Amino acid sequence: MKSNMRTPVVLVAILLALLVFITVGGNYYAHLLALVFTNVILASSLRLSILCGQLNIGHSAFMSVGAYTSALLAKNLGLPFELSLLSGALLAMLVGLVMGYPSLRLRGVYFAMVTVAFVEAIRLIVQIWVSLTRGMSGLSGIPKPSLFGMLLATKTEQCYLALGLMVVVLLVLYKLEYSRLGLIWKSIGMADNLALSLGVNVASYKLLAFALGCFFAGIAGAFYAHFVRFLFPPTFDFLMATNILVYNYVGGRGHFWGPIVGAAFLSWLPEVFRGSEATRQYETIFFSITMLLTILFLPGGLITLPSKLADLFRRRPVGVAEPGSAAVTSG
Amino acid sequence: MTFELLLQSMIIGLSLGSTYILMALGLTLMFGMMHIINFTHGAVYMLGAFVIYYGFGQWGLPYGVTFFLAMLLLGIFGFVIERCIYRPVHGGVEATLVALIAMTTLIQSLGYPIFGTLDKHVPTVFHGMYAILGVGISAERLMIIPVAVVLVVGLYLFINKTKMGAAMRAIEQDKEAAALQGVNVHLVNAMAFGVGFALAAASGALMAPIFKLDPMMGEQPLLKAFIIIILGGLGSVPGAILGGLILGQIDSIVATVLGLEPAFLLSFVFIILLLLFKPTGLFGHEV
Repeated sequence: MKSNMRTPVVLVAILLALLVFITVGGNYYAHLLALVFTNVILASSLRLSILCGQLNIGHSAFMSVGAYTSALLAKNLGLPFELSLLSGALLAMLVGLVMGYPSLRLRGVYFAMVTVAFVEAIRLIVQIWVSLTRGMSGLSGIPKPSLFGMLLATKTEQCYLALGLMVVVLLVLYKLEYSRLGLIWKSIGMADNLALSLGVNVASYKLLAFALGCFFAGIAGAFYAHFVRFLFPPTFDFLMATNILVYNYVGGRGHFWGPIVGAAFLSWLPEVFRGSEATRQYETIFFSITMLLTILFLPGGLITLPSKLADLFRRRPVGVAEPGSAAVTSG
Repeated sequence: MTFELLLQSMIIGLSLGSTYILMALGLTLMFGMMHIINFTHGAVYMLGAFVIYYGFGQWGLPYGVTFFLAMLLLGIFGFVIERCIYRPVHGGVEATLVALIAMTTLIQSLGYPIFGTLDKHVPTVFHGMYAILGVGISAERLMIIPVAVVLVVGLYLFINKTKMGAAMRAIEQDKEAAALQGVNVHLVNAMAFGVGFALAAASGALMAPIFKLDPMMGEQPLLKAFIIIILGGLGSVPGAILGGLILGQIDSIVATVLGLEPAFLLSFVFIILLLLFKPTGLFGHEV
């Protein structure tokens, strides 16, 4: 079928375009793109919780655990980047398991509010534990990332690494979402009582989704630490956690591509305002207005925009599935 | 820790707890009726404080008048938010949450160009110190307590003795049944937004002369209010009051002994532990 061939071709084209852009874009765009890729990893890793119907507003806590673990292991013990990244991600997952186990018994808004407590608790621990993390002075002197003993010294090289990490993480997440496991998660998200009555161990599957999400957030955090090379506790605050959630909603939480589109769009958007000092303060204003308009007028997220526009032009009734988007999402 | 220091911390804790309670009451009321967490509450607290800054601090209006003005203006703002944000989203819990987060960042980010980036200060309203059992407490902090008590009693009478309050309780029990009995659900929800926002504004207005003012000042009180309503049980008014009193004491006494950050951390650890053993909070019921 034609549409089955189209998706991979489009993806390869986007990937090639990104590679070309990183290569010719120079330091500024390499820096920006690497942060966009990090945000895409974060947003997509949160999607695992969203699949199970868990509203998680605490994801930045686990990014913080990954970032600090990897940075400290590399800086103090001289661990190679691959190992410190993996340790950061694993510790983030472990913390996720410990915190998730009691709180995943809660549902909906209760759970959402506990995750808010996670962010603050982790941030305060990092802030108070000055002897390890340097607290509010910030942790600096984090080594640059390296790969198989090869130091990635320039922003462009590090951006290739970010792209690579993002592609690998997204592939894993895609495989997960369209596996049997993903199906179980979706069934929990739609009707957890029904899933429970059919013999699904709802609590374990929710915990698995949550912990895996924390693992990937840890990866994003670890890369961030070695890329920006300065960690400051308030970076990983409640605001960042809400941003990760918002990427999912603005992009469209009903699709695998939703968080990716949302994170890419919203992380890129403020750049328009970076031009001068006068416009910089309007950056967040514009960001929040976009967020608000999307929620109010595009409840399905930006990902539904093409089909909505197509409906508008063809004057078809809204709600008829658009063949192109269906091919992308049905996998 | 001497007895004097403990007593002083407890009284300051009581005054701190009073402002927390004012924040938490609106949140718990709205949660009970609409099942939403109102993230905009912190921004409203900030706006309440800035009304005092401009009205009392800059234009020289009497403090009492400005205080009522803050409650009135932000009460109206509550109606606007219900009409423009809550109602169009059709009660979707998560969509409402994200819309309210967006609204919060919008208000906060608008704050910088409008109010300026420098910290603001409001002149002292109540001068002098009071001696209670040989312990000196500033009038500023002490006066918060009676004002909060009046507002809490007022809210209690409003919920329990008026027709509007009865409608609120009806919606809390069963929205559909209330609508079938002729309760105008939209209007009553809007009223809950208005009352909640007015109380948050009062809390900000009371704190304005004590803390420095900036557009992000509402974040900490919002997190405190979250802790309180989890502690007391979401949707429970007595729970919010008890939770506020407890958290006020923790924040004041533990902060005096160990420092601010450990006190804050302790309250979060406390919440996570509480949820292990009693997920619905002290007064909550299963939702």
